[in-house]
Amino acid sequence: MSAVVQLSRRDKMLLHCAPMRDERVDDRALRTALHHARRTEQFAVQQSFDKAVAALVQTIPIPQDITDWIPPDTFIAPARPPWKKYAQNPVFLATGIAAIVIAVILIFQLIERLNRFPGEPSALRLLTTASSNKSMMLDPVKTEAGRLGDFFFMKHRLVHYDVPPEFADLKTIGCRVFDDEEGQRIAQVWVVEKKMQFFLFPAERDPKTGKVKEFLGWRYVNQERWTGVVKKQGGVCFMAALRGSEKDLAPYVSKKKE
Amino acid sequence: MLAEAAKAQEVFHATLREAAQQAADGEAPRDRLWFFRNARWRCLEAGEQGLQAEDVDLEEEELAKDAPSQIEKLEPQQLATWISGAPDPQRTALALFYIDEFNHTDLLSVTELKPPELSKLLCDGRRQFQAWLDTTMPGSQP
Repeated sequence: MSAVVQLSRRDKMLLHCAPMRDERVDDRALRTALHHARRTEQFAVQQSFDKAVAALVQTIPIPQDITDWIPPDTFIAPARPPWKKYAQNPVFLATGIAAIVIAVILIFQLIERLNRFPGEPSALRLLTTASSNKSMMLDPVKTEAGRLGDFFFMKHRLVHYDVPPEFADLKTIGCRVFDDEEGQRIAQVWVVEKKMQFFLFPAERDPKTGKVKEFLGWRYVNQERWTGVVKKQGGVCFMAALRGSEKDLAPYVSKKKE
Repeated sequence: MLAEAAKAQEVFHATLREAAQQAADGEAPRDRLWFFRNARWRCLEAGEQGLQAEDVDLEEEELAKDAPSQIEKLEPQQLATWISGAPDPQRTALALFYIDEFNHTDLLSVTELKPPELSKLLCDGRRQFQAWLDTTMPGSQP
């Protein structure tokens, strides 16, 4: 009995080259087309036609001297499994994933190492201080940040504790000088703009030679949603810190000021 | 594809010789289907040297339900002659399809055809063969 089945153009196209045996069907689309057409009369006629022709072909005698020859496989190099086979192998898959993870970690560490700079540990510690401070803990000082260098020198004997020109125009609320746990003298300034805080602290020195460890330009540090941007000038590091991202600080450090 | 056992045997030996030569040179063919591809091109070359079939538009008929009984009455040589007279790539498509040794992907690879092309060649080939059967064995039609 045949069923009335509507076949798509694609199905019809594929069915015209459908192999006579199911084990020869290695294509998903063709398998689907066969599934759709299995009970149609037209396909049954085609299959019986093909099988009759194939049966006739099979009756063609193959000369003895050909069948006696070495099987052609002898001269064929063994087929290499395609890369997809390797990719589907759980061992290769697991190894590949592990290698990718290791590579990502190494790249991450390399980037982190490239971004490191002398004085970074102190800067991170001071970010914690910044996040836990209130402006009222500081001595009220209302002036421009750039003028505090003289104040720190006159009152606390701190040399080169100057706010860089990029932040020098900002109005201050207060400032203080304190010793951190390593006994370093830290100057802290609170400014009105974006509740930003400035820290001035001694640059890291080589313990053997006592020389200041150099680094150039502005460097960012991040910790718990607080961001700082650090610059070394004359043996002292300056850090501007705020609650936010690098984008919030970038406009200041990109300014060219004398 | 050649309808001549002697020529086919020649092609077989030539293909085998080339494979043996390549294997001896340490460059054994890597392609699993190399033998079939090589033999196909040799058959086409050999076919060009003999008498050429004229390009004519063959009649086509719908496949008949009793086609298998018509085909049973044929001699293998008649089928071989008919296939070898088909223009290429239809000849290649029909010969390799009815050998019934290839899966679908391999068949497309050896014939170097796209599915719609192979489909059309086989479909037309069947209908033309049916028309030829009807002409050759008119009495067996219902």
